[in-house]
This record gives sequence, structure tokens and C-alpha cells, in this order.
Amino acid sequence: MAASVLTRFCINKSKGSIRFIQRRYRVKTKWAATRPTFPATELALHNFDTSYSIQLRDLWPSIRVAMLSEQKYGALINSFSSAPNVITELEAQGCKDFISIDCTRNEVHQSSLDSMTSHRDSAELDPAALQPSMSPDIKCLVFPKGDISRFNPARPDSSGILGYYLLDAASVLPVLALDVQPGHTVLDLCAAPGGKTLALLQTHSVNHLWANDLSGSRTMRLRRTLQSYLPKEFLEENKIHITSTDGRQLGMTEEKSFERVLVDVPCTTDRHSAMVEENNIFKRSRTKERQKLPLLQTQLLLAGIQATRGGGNIVYSTCSLSQLQNECVVQKAISLAQRELGITVQVQDLRWFAQCFSDTFHFAPQLSVGELVLPHLCANFGPIYMCKLQRMN
Amino acid sequence: MYSTEQHLLPPSISQIVRWMWRWSVCPVAVSRGYMPFCSTQQKPHQANPSPISQVTHRPGNQLTLCSLLKMGFSETQAKEMHEGATKSRGKHVHSVLTALLLLGLNPSSILKIMQKCPEVYSLKGADLQQRIDHLRKMGLVEGVSLSVPLFPGSLQRMISRYPKVMLLPVKRVNMVSRLLREKCLFTIHQATDILRDSPEVLEQDLSKLEYKFQYAYFRMGVRQPEMVKAKLFRLSLSELRCRHCFLEQRGLYQTPDKKGQTLILNPPLKDILCVSEETYLVQVAMADADEFHVFRKLMAREQEEEGREDEYSSDEELEEDKDDDEDDDGLHRRKRHWNTGYKKDRK
Repeated sequence: MAASVLTRFCINKSKGSIRFIQRRYRVKTKWAATRPTFPATELALHNFDTSYSIQLRDLWPSIRVAMLSEQKYGALINSFSSAPNVITELEAQGCKDFISIDCTRNEVHQSSLDSMTSHRDSAELDPAALQPSMSPDIKCLVFPKGDISRFNPARPDSSGILGYYLLDAASVLPVLALDVQPGHTVLDLCAAPGGKTLALLQTHSVNHLWANDLSGSRTMRLRRTLQSYLPKEFLEENKIHITSTDGRQLGMTEEKSFERVLVDVPCTTDRHSAMVEENNIFKRSRTKERQKLPLLQTQLLLAGIQATRGGGNIVYSTCSLSQLQNECVVQKAISLAQRELGITVQVQDLRWFAQCFSDTFHFAPQLSVGELVLPHLCANFGPIYMCKLQRMN
Repeated sequence: MYSTEQHLLPPSISQIVRWMWRWSVCPVAVSRGYMPFCSTQQKPHQANPSPISQVTHRPGNQLTLCSLLKMGFSETQAKEMHEGATKSRGKHVHSVLTALLLLGLNPSSILKIMQKCPEVYSLKGADLQQRIDHLRKMGLVEGVSLSVPLFPGSLQRMISRYPKVMLLPVKRVNMVSRLLREKCLFTIHQATDILRDSPEVLEQDLSKLEYKFQYAYFRMGVRQPEMVKAKLFRLSLSELRCRHCFLEQRGLYQTPDKKGQTLILNPPLKDILCVSEETYLVQVAMADADEFHVFRKLMAREQEEEGREDEYSSDEELEEDKDDDEDDDGLHRRKRHWNTGYKKDRK
């Protein structure tokens, strides 16, 4: 049959430049003359369909379509910028700081609850005091539910510092949950490319920040990000220490040194793997690497636990939906820490946290441990998993 | 002017049929299900010569209210027709109306057609007759047995539903029909069904028509019989794409592989297209309306941007430092990064 091939299904011929490149990067879209027969994105989706349809059941189709659609971003406000009207300009476009809105709504709700219970049990502790706190002063603006507007790229102010950082708004949640208080020393075990690191610095409560990432090139990127967002004086203060080593070593070398540790481990980056072919972790050549991920994640979390002082908090976060990389890793790390290292770690309940932000994000119902932000077309953030732990001894 | 004609009742269908028989104008029209009630009603002669003969004796003349009434229009209908005819300054309204009457349309349907499509007033009777004959030749007349009472044939239905078809030249109808048969490989019967169910195709751009067919054939793996059953051509391409991609990205529809196999059972095309949006959402997609509306907005924006990019197609180099493995946050890619070659292949 005379089937005219639609131009949209064809590939443009490669530009044909010969270069010496690492094996891992050899087949790039713009140089490939033909497509791979099974693109890694397809393999990734197949993998997700098999495992998540069982794990998430009825929720999976909505998550799937959201992950395959354009992601929604949030603008993390850079308080180091001297530009006066960053927030008002953004708000004029229709977005709002979800953190302050959700928190004030929650406080109102909480105080109404307080007034109801206070005359009943005056002997009990004031519920407001029991309400856990979160890292202060972070502002992240998002467009309302169902609104698909995009942010314009941030513009530099008079000193070349950018006004905001565009990231998945759900990425801010682990930083909020970490509850950084003034004077704390913080370790960010897998810091690159730097969104969460930047959010940590926005709290203005960090006494000293150690940002580490295994990959040298990604550490460079982290440095560049910080240079675009922080004034030179701040960078020169030696408050920030950037290293490029294996995070698992830091557990031993920096034992009990930090009040707060953020462990944002490498994972299968579900959303990214379903959409972007380049260097996809579901490529056949990276199968071993992918299968060893849960082990690596457990080791990193253990290192993070080791590096925490007694009474300190650890937040473990990934951007995958997989139970094997989320709950299983946390539970394994907790039991290993107890058995092998004699460290007692307690899971901190984040249900109040999920309830607080349930207007902006879709949370998965009833996880065994931790909270999971699910992508949904009306609120296309995530997937982000987070779990808060406290070291007891 | 009306006083002399007041006693004349509007002619019954049987009278029209008898007039046609008597004047042997259109023998074929009779077979289209017009029940010969005339066997019970005998009106052998008219006081005046038959209005039709009067009409045919005065071709292209000024349309009078009198002649309209004789054709069977009520007073109000006749006035409206007359107004419409004078406004359009059509010169052959008589012959046009004759042709429509010969088709077997009753006066109120004809009025509705003229209201829907006033351009018909400006047609030439001969042209119209030629077009109607051509459509009939293409098979748009169903052979209906005389035992079925008053079953309007497909030709009348199509013209009543979509009067614009009368404005289209024979050549255009031929081109569309050829496209359907030769490029899309529909059978003649299927092509007729398509024209009958979705006469809008006659006005569409041929390449867009072909694209829609190819989308259904290759992208959705649907074959011709299913397309006809699902009245594929009634839907716009954007709505088709929207409903299909929504299902596909939810994992409820898969493009069949080379052997025509899928891992899941695809819902049949008519279940997707022929139902209202609510039914589609509840039964087929199993999703909320909000979700679908956001999805539609996203698709519309995507299409718009693709259209614009095709216009300014450039081979800009994408940023080099694409070290994005495990990159979960941060937007330092330009929007064009979304347009990798694989984007279209999302399943």
C-alpha cells in the first residue's frame, strides 16, 4: 500500500562529526543515524508498567500519563538576590508560595483544634508545641492546580545573581522535612546538581554545609550553580565545603559530625528515564549498575546515619516510585545500623507534613514508612520519596 | 393574492409522487421508500394544470409566493423562502426547489436546508441536479424495499444534515472519493458509507484527510472496516489525537507491532470515538474530567509549538553539558530540549 511516511516519524540524518568520546556517551541523538531498536525509554516504561501496576494498582494510569507529560516546575526564591521585586513579579503571573499558604492554613486549622481540645484536657501538653517544625524561610512559588503555565528563565540582578531557581517543587519537601535550625552543621551526601543544596542555604540557618557528590563533572555543575546564586562574599566565607568523593566513605571519616544529613541518593529517576533517551539508566549496558542501586542506596544511607550526631535528623529521599529503592532501603538501613553498628534510628512520622501540603501535591496513601509524592496531571510534581529518621544514640 | 388559493391544501406526498410519475421526471426517486399511498386516494385530475408543469413552463422566472404555496409550503414558510430568495438574488431558485422536491424532501425540510445554508439559493438548478445525480451514481441511494414506510434514503439524509454538500462541484466530490478508495484503500461501499456518515470530509483539505487516516492506520493500528464503523472522519484530528494519546499514555492503548499484536487488549475504536466525553472518561479512560482537560491543554500547546518549530526549523546545537544522569531538579535546559526525536514515541 502506498503509505507516505509522515515526516514526524522520521529522523534527521546525523551531522556526521567524528569525535573521540567515552563509550557511555557514544550514541547520542544528534549523532545517531538510526534509532536503537528498543529505546531505553521503552524499556523503562515496560519495567514501570510491570512493577508499578501491581504496587500502585488503580493509581498507576494517572501517574503514568503525568510522568509522560510535561513536568510542572516551582521557582525556589533566591533570598541572596538583591533584585527587589522577584516575588511580586512572579505572583503577578499567577503563582503563589505554596509553603507559606499551606502552613498558615495548617496553623489556622491547628489553632482551631487547639481551642476545641484545650478546655477538655488542660493537663495535656499544648498540641501546638508538639507540632513538628520545618526548615524556615524557604519560599517556592508554583502555579495553581491545573494551571500549565511555564516560568520564564531567571534573570540576573545587578551583581549577576539569579533571582530564582527552577526545580520540581516536590524536591523542596525533603529539605523542609529536614528541619534545619540555626547553627546546624549540614551534610548533603549527593548534592549535585544543587537544587536541594540551594534550598538548604535559603534557610540562613546553616552554620556549615558540606556538599558532596561522587561525580566530578556533576560537582563542577554544583559549583557553577552556587556561583550563579550566591554572592561572592558568601562563597568566600568558607561556610560551604564541596567535595567529590564516594559518599560511603564519609560515614567513617566524618562520624558523628553533623546535626542534619540529607541523603538524596542516585536512583532510577523514573520521570527522567521515561522521557529522555540519553544515558538512560535502563539501557542494557547499565543493567548491572541499575540492579546494584538498592545496595548502593542502603550503603549511602548507612553512611549518612553514621555521620549524624546523636539526636540529629537524617532525611532519605529519592525520585523513584519503586518500593525496592524506597521503603525497603530505609528498613534495611535501620536494621543494619542496629545490628552491625549498634546505632538506634527511629523513623519520624511525616503524616502531618503530607496533610499540610496535600492541597499542592498528591501524596500516596498509607506507605509503610515515609511519604511519596505522586505525579498527577493536575499537580505534575514528583515522584519524590522521603523518609525522616532520627539518630537516638 | 392568497384568497384564490386558500382552499387548496398543501399537496400530500402521494400527490408529489403522482406528479412525478405523470411527468416522468424522476423514475428513480420513486424507489426510495415513498409509499404509494396513492392507491387509496384517487385524484384523477386537477382543476388547473399541475403546478409542476406551470413551474417547468416558466424556468428561471421570478419566484412568486403563489408558486411556493403550490409547491406545498405553508404561508409562513413561503414568506420566509421568498425573503431568503430575494435577499440572495438567486436567479434559479425555482429549478433549485424543483430539484429538491424531486429528491423527495418535504417542504419543511427544504426550508430548514435553506436556513442552514442560504448559499443554495444562488445555485443553478442544472448544476444542482447534476451534483445530485453524481452523488446518486456514487451509491448514495440505498435501495429500500417498498414495504418500509417513509424511510428517507441516505441521499436525503445527507443533504438535510449537511446542505453544504450541494455547493461542492462534482470534481471535488470525485477527488475525495478517489483519495478514499485509492490512497486509503477503502472499498467503494465503505467510501459511500463515509460520505454518508461524515459529509464534512468533502470539504476538508485532502492531505489532512490522508493524515488522519494514516494516524488511525499506523499509529493506532486500526483497519478500514473499524474506521467506518467508528465514523472516524466525523472527529477532528486534534480530538482524535487527544483521546488516543490520553489512553496510550495511561497504558490503556498500545500501537500493535509488526505482527499486529499488543500486550493488552485495545478498546475498539467506536468505544473511544462514538461516545460522549463523560462516557469515554468513565468507561474507557477511567479518569477524572480535570485530568483530561489538563491533558488536552498540554496537547494543544504541544501541537502549537510543533507547528511553530516546523516554521522556524533550525539545526541549533543543544547545550553540550548534557550530563543529566540522575538529574531530578533544576531547569537549565532550553525548552527545545523537549524536542528530542523520541518525544513523539511516548507510549
